[in-house]
Amino acid sequence: MKISILAAAAALMAGACSAQAANIEFWYGNTGPVETAIKAQCDAFNAAQTQHKVTCVGQGSYEVSMQKAIAAFRAKNHPVLIQFFDAGTLDLMLSNAVVPVQEILPDVKWDNYIAGARAYYETSGGKLFAQPYNASTLLFYTNKTELEKAGITQTPTTWEEVIDAARKLKAAGHACPFVTDGDTWRVLEQFSARHGLPIASRHNGYDGLDAEYVFNTTFVAKHLQNLVDWRKEGLVKLNADTKAGNYTAAFNAGECAMMEGSSGSYAASTKAFDGKYQLTVNMAPMYKGYERHNTLVGGASIYVMKGHDQAQVDGAKAFLDFLRKPEQQMAFTAATGYVPVTNDVLEAINKSGDAKAAKYATAALGIESMNQPPTADSRGIRLGFYVQFREIFVEETQKAYGGQQTMQVSLDNAKKRGDELLRRFEQTYKGVKLP
Amino acid sequence: MTSESTLFSNRWLPVLLVSPFMLLIVLFFYVPIFQAFYWSFFLEQPFGGGSMFVGFDNFARVLSDREFWQAGWRTIIFMVTASSLAVLIPLILAVAADRKIRLSLPARNVLVWPKGVAGASIGVVFAFVFNPFVGLLAPLNKAFPGIWAPGIDGTDAFITLIAAHVWSGIPFNFVILLAGLQSIPRTMHQAAAMDGAGPWRRIFDVQLPLIMPQLFLTLVLEFTESITSAFALIDTITHGGPGGATTLLVYKIYKDGFSGYDLSGASTQTAILMVFVILLTAAQFVFLGRRINYER
Repeated sequence: MKISILAAAAALMAGACSAQAANIEFWYGNTGPVETAIKAQCDAFNAAQTQHKVTCVGQGSYEVSMQKAIAAFRAKNHPVLIQFFDAGTLDLMLSNAVVPVQEILPDVKWDNYIAGARAYYETSGGKLFAQPYNASTLLFYTNKTELEKAGITQTPTTWEEVIDAARKLKAAGHACPFVTDGDTWRVLEQFSARHGLPIASRHNGYDGLDAEYVFNTTFVAKHLQNLVDWRKEGLVKLNADTKAGNYTAAFNAGECAMMEGSSGSYAASTKAFDGKYQLTVNMAPMYKGYERHNTLVGGASIYVMKGHDQAQVDGAKAFLDFLRKPEQQMAFTAATGYVPVTNDVLEAINKSGDAKAAKYATAALGIESMNQPPTADSRGIRLGFYVQFREIFVEETQKAYGGQQTMQVSLDNAKKRGDELLRRFEQTYKGVKLP
Repeated sequence: MTSESTLFSNRWLPVLLVSPFMLLIVLFFYVPIFQAFYWSFFLEQPFGGGSMFVGFDNFARVLSDREFWQAGWRTIIFMVTASSLAVLIPLILAVAADRKIRLSLPARNVLVWPKGVAGASIGVVFAFVFNPFVGLLAPLNKAFPGIWAPGIDGTDAFITLIAAHVWSGIPFNFVILLAGLQSIPRTMHQAAAMDGAGPWRRIFDVQLPLIMPQLFLTLVLEFTESITSAFALIDTITHGGPGGATTLLVYKIYKDGFSGYDLSGASTQTAILMVFVILLTAAQFVFLGRRINYER
């Protein structure tokens, strides 16, 4: 009898407590310096207030995090906050597993986010679905020291200049002038966006689930064929061609002189270059004769998952509010190289007097790149099962680099397989309207 | 039946003793398998919340998919080459160890060690061993640039995978085959030798026929295991690449299901793969198993 009374009292107390405060979980996928920065933010949140406690759980990668979230959601054991990457945007929008952030936080000034970041994550009605978190975009990294050794004083800005520089580097005996991993995000998405090319019809899926891939017919096909030819010439190297086995590692070690990479790897590069080489970052190169449009916001954003009580949602809101604070975003940018995507943070950086400092180098540049004139096809990518398409694209293009088939055949195959994914997605979400 | 009842006085006791294990099998084998078969007839939304019965649509989709057949074909090539090598090499080693050649005693010990290494760890080690820049074949690459490039050339990646699989299969098969060889009575060897049979003759006419049960066992296990256990190796060494050259069916299922969120397609392929493995094993028993004489 006594025990049951005690138990009841304990249950009541627990109930009373959870009405005010909440322990919430936040899942993320990053590792390395970015993970350190995320953990620091979690600790800072827990230290700054006592009402809520956030537990941040690293899942090792975006993909694993998403896999676990699916399993956890089905088992009703999911966290309230989860970080997802850009490619999963439509899958999540239609998942019925998340609440748009703008719906649960209606009073936030969401138009503070730059247009490029909003466009990627907002509904057709202009409601932001997720809160951009570690936003990144594609930048062009050069090892200034190595370039100067080969007699290149001006950082290349067009692909023509990049390849000229690569030829000079090669002539000077450099083993790896330009390195890329041929990843879909870098060579297809960001290339298409800034050159104003569509990846799929219906404005990359923004206008309906019946979109079809079209990238195999655009100028990107020519660019990818160029990459194959340049690789044969010894100007472009892939992951597997480098000693380091990975393009960023190869660049950071000084093995390769130029790379196109995410702004999010800036911190790692500066750290690796410290005292050995000089690093330059620029906007990603364009082909001559093409007008520059915006690059896409990459990285990841935070979603609020359904099925939690009010206290947990309150905790989640508090944490999201905390992450949006300018000083938090600035610290995160300085630690990682990810780009702050709200206007007030940019102002804060400008006012801080540190605007020219290396730690904010990617902020201004990334924003500039994402703020170039947009087209209807450079808003983002709203295609279903897109995570799998990215892998199909890599798989097919690898066959072209390996010499098994021409790049055009690879792209045609990737389009065909991608369209099958889109049709299945359409069928899976039959009768569902794009939000 | 009588012998059982003498061992256990209570007829429920054996059931009780087996039940924890049966429970685990049901929970972690039969339930998921049933789920896979069930999902293969539905179009399932990744996060739940909506699934639609589609009959045999998933099967039609999978069976008309070129990628599925390519992955299946790769699986068969891997199965045949990797598992025959994984039996042949231990067989040679076991025959040698059985012949009491020098160092056969330490060899018997050392050759068992790889059994203790997990597939994923083997993968990590082999990725390093076969690295074109720092691995074993690096000198070859220095002499002939680009001749060994598992990151670019699909065949090279496939060879790496087979080598890793065979290496990991050696210990178990070696133990089984050596045990078989050692159970052959010495008198048989002596009799054969007295009849004038040389060492090679004795291997083919005495030893091999007498260890047929062990050979059959290792072959059946290898065939089924090569289909499933390749996963850890692929996931650590090649990730299915380059260009999908090492995407065997198990890996494709994982990719489709977990990174493509195609639960229905992955389930359908699981169902097909399982039926294939069952048929394959049944065929081995029907066509090979019958010819084996277990009596000595």
